[in-house]
Amino acid sequence: MSLQHFLKQYPNRRYLMFGGKGGLGKTTFSAATAYWLAKQGHKVLVFSVDPQASLSDIFQQDIFGKGAVEIMPNLFAQEIDADRRIKEYQQEIRQKILDMYGLEKVPEEIENYIQAAAAEPAMEESAIFDAVVDIVIGGDYDYYIYDLVPLGHALYYLSMASVYDQWIDKITALRAEMAEYAQVASVMQRDKETEEDQILRELQYIKQRINTSSGILTDKERTAFFFVLVPEEMIIVDTQKAAGLFARYNVPLSGYVVNRVIPAELAQQDIPDYLRNRLAMQRGYLERIDQLFGQEVLARVNEFERDITGLPMIEKVAAALFGGEE
Amino acid sequence: MGEQKPKKPGFLENLKSILYGMAGHDMARYALKTRGSMEHLFILITMGDLLGIPILPPYYSLRLLPYVVPQISTWKRRMLREKDLTDALA
Repeated sequence: MSLQHFLKQYPNRRYLMFGGKGGLGKTTFSAATAYWLAKQGHKVLVFSVDPQASLSDIFQQDIFGKGAVEIMPNLFAQEIDADRRIKEYQQEIRQKILDMYGLEKVPEEIENYIQAAAAEPAMEESAIFDAVVDIVIGGDYDYYIYDLVPLGHALYYLSMASVYDQWIDKITALRAEMAEYAQVASVMQRDKETEEDQILRELQYIKQRINTSSGILTDKERTAFFFVLVPEEMIIVDTQKAAGLFARYNVPLSGYVVNRVIPAELAQQDIPDYLRNRLAMQRGYLERIDQLFGQEVLARVNEFERDITGLPMIEKVAAALFGGEE
Repeated sequence: MGEQKPKKPGFLENLKSILYGMAGHDMARYALKTRGSMEHLFILITMGDLLGIPILPPYYSLRLLPYVVPQISTWKRRMLREKDLTDALA
């Protein structure tokens, strides 16, 4: 099956993700897929959840923190500015405290906490995680393409979703139990009603946000996850490992795309030994990839003569990735 | 004309209060005390970072922060103080 086949056969798969080790071409393929789908007449948003996003580089346009930017008709790209989002969020919390208690100034101890919380490493990931929910529930696009972070982060991101989920369940239960005790006391003392527990409401809101986000990542009907790899020993081994881990988190693995393949035709030409050796090495690993992943290899993309930036190069990659019209 | 005098509680009302004092009050106190302990447990697992124990992802613990502002000082005192015998009697 080819990538084009796959998308035509499963038109409900609206959330597409490319994962893999750093520097193998996730952003390139995300951009090329977005380009191809946009050319087919679908409205597409490609967005980055990587704090060191590179969509700006590939589209040669500064889109960082600017919301969804139209790159060409039907094709939109977005890079989330996590830092700014965190700052705005902190300010929102401060304002809420001032309003709730009619204070002039946030108490020092609380302010210190707000500052410290923002400095934690998990903050950025969770902020981006939360931003993704906003983007996706907007529902303004036919396709959403996630330009994922390198594998380790992506796994962290996924495991975080399931940990969050369980954690929230636990404290929601605790909170509900607390409400019961308060109610018992108020019945005894014949008070009217207990005040509505706002915290419980917040917890339910958080839970719903997390469920939406992790629900998409693991939705077998609407999500397709593709692995990007190159014909090299270490990458193959790591990809296999990662695929196992992803499967454990119920990510719908849909196939593999092999990048950086040296065109086999070069062997016919007069080429230096250096290149000939690399060709032979790749031939071996390509066979290995076929043995391991077989029908799940959806595309092989050749190494290009230059790096992929700008729409004309993206168009070339899209052609290699999807082939011509059928 | 004028304001009504506060109604004198009837016999039944008095009886209710006496019964509450005899039976209900302790239970209500116990329920509130349990709830108080749980409140502190709740703050510990959401705001643990305040004591240097990070438990909840900070992005979401910040969301809950405004609601627990009044409890934070008593909670810290309770969590950090030394326990002694009289705690059992409280």
